[in-house]
Amino acid sequence: MSRVWLPCGHYHQSYAKDQGWWQTPVIKLKMLLLLGIVLLGVPLLLPGYWVGVCTIIGYTAMGALGVQLLIGYTELITLGHGAFIAVGAYTSTMLVLHFPWPEVLVDLGLAYPLSIVVAGLFAGIWSVIFGLPTIRVKGFYFILTTIAAQFITVDLILTQYVSKIGGRAQSIKIPSDAAKIGPWTMSGDVKPYLLMAVLLILMVMVTANLLRTKRGRAWMAIRDNDVAASTMGINVFYHKLLAFFVAGAMAGVAGAFWVSNTSAMSPEHFPWFLSLKLVGVILIGGIGSIHGAILGAAFWVLVGEFLQMGVLPLADYWPNVLMSFTFLKTAFFGLIICAFLNFEPHGLAYRWWQIKNYFNLWPFSY
Amino acid sequence: MELFLMTLVTGIMVGGIYALIALGWVVIYKCSGVLNLAMGELTLIGAYVSWWLYSTGIPFVVCVFLTIIIGIILGILTERIFLDRLIGQPLLSVIMVTVGLSFFFRGTAMFIWGPSTKTFHPPVFPQESIHVGMLSITPVFFWSFLVVIGLLIALVAFFKYTRWGLSMQATADDETAALSLGVSVRFVYAASWSIAFITAGIGGALLANINGLNINIAHLGLVVLPAVIFGGLNSIPGAIVGGIVIGILENMTGTYLTQIVPGGIKTIVPFIFLVIFMMFRPHGLWGWVRIERV
Repeated sequence: MSRVWLPCGHYHQSYAKDQGWWQTPVIKLKMLLLLGIVLLGVPLLLPGYWVGVCTIIGYTAMGALGVQLLIGYTELITLGHGAFIAVGAYTSTMLVLHFPWPEVLVDLGLAYPLSIVVAGLFAGIWSVIFGLPTIRVKGFYFILTTIAAQFITVDLILTQYVSKIGGRAQSIKIPSDAAKIGPWTMSGDVKPYLLMAVLLILMVMVTANLLRTKRGRAWMAIRDNDVAASTMGINVFYHKLLAFFVAGAMAGVAGAFWVSNTSAMSPEHFPWFLSLKLVGVILIGGIGSIHGAILGAAFWVLVGEFLQMGVLPLADYWPNVLMSFTFLKTAFFGLIICAFLNFEPHGLAYRWWQIKNYFNLWPFSY
Repeated sequence: MELFLMTLVTGIMVGGIYALIALGWVVIYKCSGVLNLAMGELTLIGAYVSWWLYSTGIPFVVCVFLTIIIGIILGILTERIFLDRLIGQPLLSVIMVTVGLSFFFRGTAMFIWGPSTKTFHPPVFPQESIHVGMLSITPVFFWSFLVVIGLLIALVAFFKYTRWGLSMQATADDETAALSLGVSVRFVYAASWSIAFITAGIGGALLANINGLNINIAHLGLVVLPAVIFGGLNSIPGAIVGGIVIGILENMTGTYLTQIVPGGIKTIVPFIFLVIFMMFRPHGLWGWVRIERV
């Protein structure tokens, strides 16, 4: 069986083809169309506000991809992924603002891109440190380590120490020209969006390719049964740490991207709620699929926006509702997560697959 | 020396409350094998409900009883509405439902009662400290500790000597086998969530009397997780010992380490300690070590 549905008369004659990116010309065309929509359609056709919303979707999806890798493909339940986003964000901020870059690099606008790379690496290493207990700790006991990662990183190190560098109180102000790539300064709506799109596409490609390699198959073997995986000669500890590194690095890049989309960096951007939210995103999207993470992120952000639009007219009659809107939103998303797990446990990705199948098979149902 | 003893005693007393909340955690784990990540929010709800009842002028003891009754109702409702369909589903989805529940409870509580800090007014416990030898103990801690000890004994007895407690342990061991032996798993789930609501509610009401009532109570409920893990997830004595150890650790850090390492080290230290501790004992002190087979 092939990984994807193939039209009548298409057969693969080698395993390499079976694992290929684009199995039929139609799929290739569809993907190029999608690429065109993401890179040209959205920034040209949508109004600025909605481009910003799409940026937030991409940022959430970037964070959720790492969580997907850990939970969906390696079954390491992580409830502290926000910490690594925060590490990436702060590394990048610190590098851009305080690192003595050579003039040449700043003039060429390479400081920020380089800081994204460094942020990714550093967040990956930071994540590996908290992955080390996996050598002995398993299951629910391990959840505590990830929660500890969140509290140690954000609530202690970032809030109490890093934020106070230079005598500031809480947030670090980021000048609007700090994030500069080549000749372009990351400001307005469209430029951060395009940066997000490029980074997200790269990340999806990296993840999808990793999952096709020996490493990816090892991760999935560990997910299905880690004892069986180790008897088959897979170094479980090494592969778990590798998963942590990759997921942490992705979170770090996501965090470094956030520098270009915000005017001040504060630990309050990375509460424990963010970590839980990322898990919620992949639950809604569907565990164990890459496009699930993106669908989940889109669902989460868009529902939040629509909820806001629905609640705004109520403000005339009930002013209190705006003040406590964030709480209402939290409660609502809690309900959504519960509802998804009860009624649609495979998430949006599964529903998407069903819809696709329906049209592929139409007019026959088999 | 006096400072050391004072810190120790305060630590033990706060630890008692932690032990109570930890017990709620362990009860749910023992019955259904689920790590209930909404425990902090159950504490929050309990604290707010008792504060709300108290502010209408009902005496505190009655408030606590009413909180217990509301807790039982909420526990049954939670099980019926959110968890009933998930019996027999993978554990991961049940745990994630508790994450969803924690969002829901937190959002609802904050929406109803608002983010500002509430205090019990008039104060429930007298302000003058009780003097025992050279120690002086704040009455809040003293009475909380007594209540907690009583409840702990009651719950341990419930598990050891009643039929319901036994059927809960059977469900924890093997859900399918328990079902085939005529144990009502739905009832056991409902009962375990009710117990969790009760312990969290009382713990929350007491914690709110100590520190004032705001969203941080949920965080305090989460600080209990290290206590649970320290004792081992399915051990009731472990929860009690863990709660007290974490209470002492936290207060000792607050007294001695805060001068050296400023900032919020006090609430973080249990987590740091546990991460290191788990490297040596990955199942806590008395958690069951399951032998894994392919």
